[in-house]
Amino acid sequence: MTVATQQGGGGYVERGGGGGGSSGLADVVELILDKGLVIDVFVRVSLVGIEILTIDARIVVASVDTFLRFAEATNRLDLYGKGKGGKDLTQLTQGVMEGGAKGKTSGMLDAAVDKFEEVMSSRREEREEAPRRRPRQRSREEDG
Amino acid sequence: MSATYVYGLIAADADLPEDLVGLGPSGSVSTVAHGKLAAIVSDVPMDRPLGTRDDLLAHERVVDSVVNHTTVLPMRFPAVVEEEGLVEELLGPHQEHFLAILDRLDGKVQYTLKARYEQDVLLQEILEEDEQIRRLHEQVRELPEDAAYYDRVKLGELIVRALEKRREVDAADIVERLEPFAADVSTTTPSQPEDVVLAAFLVERDAVPAFDEAVEDLGRDTHEWLRLRLLGPLAPYDFIPQE
Repeated sequence: MTVATQQGGGGYVERGGGGGGSSGLADVVELILDKGLVIDVFVRVSLVGIEILTIDARIVVASVDTFLRFAEATNRLDLYGKGKGGKDLTQLTQGVMEGGAKGKTSGMLDAAVDKFEEVMSSRREEREEAPRRRPRQRSREEDG
Repeated sequence: MSATYVYGLIAADADLPEDLVGLGPSGSVSTVAHGKLAAIVSDVPMDRPLGTRDDLLAHERVVDSVVNHTTVLPMRFPAVVEEEGLVEELLGPHQEHFLAILDRLDGKVQYTLKARYEQDVLLQEILEEDEQIRRLHEQVRELPEDAAYYDRVKLGELIVRALEKRREVDAADIVERLEPFAADVSTTTPSQPEDVVLAAFLVERDAVPAFDEAVEDLGRDTHEWLRLRLLGPLAPYDFIPQE
């Protein structure tokens, strides 16, 4: 995705699309595979010799993996190393802006992949042994 | 029988930009007119399957380049017809139907807005505001990863629920702010919890500068916790009736 982050008025909005070749494949897939006029509805297609690739680029994320991704992201937050206040928030935001969308996303994906592998191996271990911990956040309600 | 690729439909008297590049071996793009309607067409590669990355990008590029010249009804990928069928089956029998849609969308373009939370900022806020999440987070932090597996799943689930609750409100706010500048809005609930909104706005060409400014204002007001991406002008993909 080629994105100009500093064009236009203030540059707070990333821009793309518009036939200039600046759309990413994901954006294009979302538009032209899911929406628009469907030719088969109007035309009895009987073409011989044309092979069409089946495309399903939509990413299905299993919910447990999504949950673990957010638990991990939360763990990476340095909650206590920073004081409260606007300054830290600004620094955080600037870091994100400087890093750019691509860097941050791929970092997140890498982390998710690492995490996924760790999770898979730890899950296998846990299946062999008995689970050592059980969720206990409901114990109070159960007692009462 | 030869195959023809159809990118979209335009009014028969409309002009095409000159530098369009099609997905067929010739690379050229032309129109076939019938009555008041014209199809934007090209040849089709016969020696390989259709549907590569380049095919998808070529389809989008042709359609969205035409947007800058005239109103276009985009076809869904892939749209292949036999050459004879183009007029006999597509443009002829469905002419009134297509003209009615074209008329309704005339003079309007689509902008797609994607908003995503700045993840760290939102997670920090959620931790500060939600005691249950904060406690679980502290508990998970102190345990070895393997031991805390179920607690980590639970923590993640609570965070995802909190995000989803927030985005309902935030998505509605975003749409409400931009709605006055659009003729129509179509929203989709994004699949990822950190994605706040995926909204298509149908905007009158004359109203584009005002809409654009409103999006920029929104970006300025929310840039500390929201990242906005605006795609467009696009063909009105989201406003084509689904048969």
